[in-house]
Amino acid sequence: MDVTCDIFSKRLIISVLWNIGLQAVIAVMLVGFIQIDILHPVSWISSSINDVFGWKMSINIVLLGLVSFFQAYIYGCYYVKPLPKYFTRFSMFLSLFCAQNIIFSILYALSGYFTMSLYSSLAKSNFNTLKKICENYDGQCLLEQSLFLQMGGMWMGLYYFLNAHIFSPTTLTFPHIYQDKFQQIKLAIHSILSCGFKSSIIPVVYYCIFYYFWGHKPRNVVSDVYGLYLEDKPLDNILNLFGSGIWIGLWFYTSLFLISVYAMRTVFNIVLTEPMKFPIESSKKLTLHKAIAQKSQFNGYLGTQDLKIMSLTDTVRRKEIFTLSQPGGHPRNWNNLLQECLKIVNDFSKELDSINGDMKPVEIEMLPKRPGSSITPKSTLYTGNLRNMAYSPQLHELKEHNKNKSEHTLISAIKEEFNILVQRIRQKPGISYLFGELTDTRLKFLLMQAQPVMWTCEGLAFIAAASLKEDKYGVVQTDLPIVISTLINLKQNLDKLTKPGLVPRKHILNDSFALKMKSALLSSVKLSIYKIVITFSKYIHEIPLDPDVQIAIQPFLICKEA
Amino acid sequence: MKYIVAAMPDMTKKHPIINVTRDLHHHRTSDENISMYIDVEDNLLKKITSVWYKQGFLEALSVAADPSVNRESPTLAVTASYILKVANILTAFRYFLQPHLKDIGPKIVANYSRTRNWGQVPVKCLAWHPHTTKIAVATVDDNVRVYCSEVTFVSTLKCKAQGHVSSLNWRPLSASELAVGCEQGVIVWTVDPNLMFTKPSSSNAVLLKKNGHSPVTDVSWSPNGDLLISCSGADTSMLVWDTAMETAIPLRRVAGGGNVFARWSFDASKIFTATSSIIFRIWDTKTWTPERWCARGHRVVAACWGPDNILLFAAKGEPMVYALTTTSLLSGSQTTKATPALDVTKVELSSGEPVGGPILDMCWDPTGRYMAMLFEESHLVAVFCTTYIMMQLKIDPCCFVTGVEDEIPCTMAFQQNFNDGACLTIAWSSGRVQHFPIIYSESY
Repeated sequence: MDVTCDIFSKRLIISVLWNIGLQAVIAVMLVGFIQIDILHPVSWISSSINDVFGWKMSINIVLLGLVSFFQAYIYGCYYVKPLPKYFTRFSMFLSLFCAQNIIFSILYALSGYFTMSLYSSLAKSNFNTLKKICENYDGQCLLEQSLFLQMGGMWMGLYYFLNAHIFSPTTLTFPHIYQDKFQQIKLAIHSILSCGFKSSIIPVVYYCIFYYFWGHKPRNVVSDVYGLYLEDKPLDNILNLFGSGIWIGLWFYTSLFLISVYAMRTVFNIVLTEPMKFPIESSKKLTLHKAIAQKSQFNGYLGTQDLKIMSLTDTVRRKEIFTLSQPGGHPRNWNNLLQECLKIVNDFSKELDSINGDMKPVEIEMLPKRPGSSITPKSTLYTGNLRNMAYSPQLHELKEHNKNKSEHTLISAIKEEFNILVQRIRQKPGISYLFGELTDTRLKFLLMQAQPVMWTCEGLAFIAAASLKEDKYGVVQTDLPIVISTLINLKQNLDKLTKPGLVPRKHILNDSFALKMKSALLSSVKLSIYKIVITFSKYIHEIPLDPDVQIAIQPFLICKEA
Repeated sequence: MKYIVAAMPDMTKKHPIINVTRDLHHHRTSDENISMYIDVEDNLLKKITSVWYKQGFLEALSVAADPSVNRESPTLAVTASYILKVANILTAFRYFLQPHLKDIGPKIVANYSRTRNWGQVPVKCLAWHPHTTKIAVATVDDNVRVYCSEVTFVSTLKCKAQGHVSSLNWRPLSASELAVGCEQGVIVWTVDPNLMFTKPSSSNAVLLKKNGHSPVTDVSWSPNGDLLISCSGADTSMLVWDTAMETAIPLRRVAGGGNVFARWSFDASKIFTATSSIIFRIWDTKTWTPERWCARGHRVVAACWGPDNILLFAAKGEPMVYALTTTSLLSGSQTTKATPALDVTKVELSSGEPVGGPILDMCWDPTGRYMAMLFEESHLVAVFCTTYIMMQLKIDPCCFVTGVEDEIPCTMAFQQNFNDGACLTIAWSSGRVQHFPIIYSESY
């Protein structure tokens, strides 16, 4: 991976090391718990200590470490892959079968198998080997409980992989406050344990049902391959299954597997989401504005989070922003930072705008700019409150009419007929379900990446507010109008999504996470505008703003903007 | 530079007039009203299930065990009484381990509330908006009424989940978000200031609750407007909410019992939290780690931050105000110490009125010039002038505020956006809400 993923890879490695430590603790506790003997505490403690420092335990820990590395690698691969843009259900379905998914599902099944056998050997279970000496016959027999457990391990690995990475992938959420790591782990332990035991019930039930119907097939295959006899009662009979008690063991080991996986995820989250301080100017390390420039990638998240935290708490780094460069006296730090921040906010506004106006992302401005109307998007016919007939898009259609006249040939007619036919087929219910464009995915995809935008807006607003007292050279004052107008622009685009009655069908979100992100983004933008307006309330009329922006700011000044 | 302090009613001409009388109250069935109803003979099973539904399993058991109520099935009564005995032993053991859990919901709030007689007074708590002249008042019927200065329409915020309101706090840097701490959790209302004639419905409210975190005894927003802290007297963790994403991160420290209230400093760098025991903590918001302090006798009952991060606090039953100041030493490190700042032992005025004694509540105005105090054993509100010059805090007496006839002050708050001085809003036991302006003017 290139330099941009450097921080991510480093943190992933650190989290793997923490995870190995945590897994070792879990393994030690398991060893102690299994041999619990309250009546003979001394022998219990001594035998536990013997086991912990024996060679078996170290091999187990090494293997657990390898499994951790492997799981971290998969986690990293899925995290770095950008959020895919699924626009039809069919393409969503097809993407499930890509090569990466298939390979990783096999590997995860194997890792489930290894983890289960590790835990069952730590717990000194009798069901570790497939073969045993037959009692009634001369030869070797199949120990079906071991087969049951081992296959259960593979099933568990596959189930977890499908759940966590394919069907409902969870994005990395940064916590709004970051406590000390030990404190966070302490808080998470209780929920890890209870979730682990509770969530293993459903997959165990599914597995028992699966084994009841198809358990005999792998059993026959294995006994043929190894040349084993079957002498015990087969386990694909409900009475035998419950009677042998193996389902308790299965549930226990699958819970352990889930606990270890959840612990791994928790440790990853804790280490990956740690806020990082970027220097404002530096020749060797990654500076803040360069980190912010990497937008939706991991560095972008860390950079924008650092921008917000710095704007609230760090006077030293704020002073660095407000300084002028040595020869020349240019406010380079502020200019670089402002450029990246405005880019993030403006790109997001443009995307919102294109979703609102149902156009492809605009790169060239089609209509000439009216002086003073830099805010209102050109896709609407309504500028202000009056419909402006002079700028109707029909004007351009009239202009292009001449070009189309000479192309009426047979081929174009056939093409048109074909298109009409395809459109009609697409309207049919079943086909449109599979191939029709999902209405809210574009908006959902956009909102999932709104977190850096929120942090950027707040960071800019708080730096601007702090500049009233801390900025000696007035570096920020000259750019106040553009900061305010960018924020107002974003807010107006967001308002179009929420105005009741005017919301077109494609903006109705079904995903509760996306809805919450939308309201979080809206309240964050309003907070930023309020901060600037309230701090500069005495001088607001001296700031040169466009008349549209001035009108938009009025409700904030009188504190009537909901 | 001396200042004349005067109460000029013209300054508060535009302030909302609030008088919470009994006919404003909306009827709400509470435990006290049950005696107004006549008993109806139901069969035993119906009685037990209705008590189980309303008041819980243990109460249903006690109804079943009561021989005067349960006349039909003596075996059920005997079994229920045995189960009750076991349950009582278990709960006694649990309260031995965690003494702060002893009371139930409203009792916990009444025990820790800084409003005098919280359960019965007309106004339970009030809160001014930080940027505009808007005040939210929680009345005894658990409705929150929002009064604005220019508009005569009063928004009433009520919803089923809003019971036993303990605290109110407006969100800084917004016009319309109000956090209400009630028994089930925290309700965040969005009150659109432009909708003058519609009543906010429960679709404008978001209920934030978490297991074990009830009743909520205090809510406070960060001065930066991004985080909300909720404290519950029965929970050793303080929750830091991100209200838009509806997620909470607990700040848990086990020693000391439940958190009663939290106060943010003006620059949002420190949070003061008082627990139900003598321990109180000052949290640093950069690293979210606390500094643990112990009060001398009883728990801290009131605290307020002032300019330059000075903290004034008072312990229950003690007529003394302490100041906690952080000074930077020459070596570069910082030291914090608590010194007694004001002695308010009870004295009798020439008119015969007692004033002083144990402190009930304190608040400091946003400019740091005036501090008001409520006492447990006195019916006067004492206002002091505070000055902080050359790292020295000076607290001088300013005036007393007394009510009309037999009125007792219940709760108070300073207006946050009063530019001419300070305006203290006092809610009296008769339901009258008084705005007491203190005008600051220079004179020689």
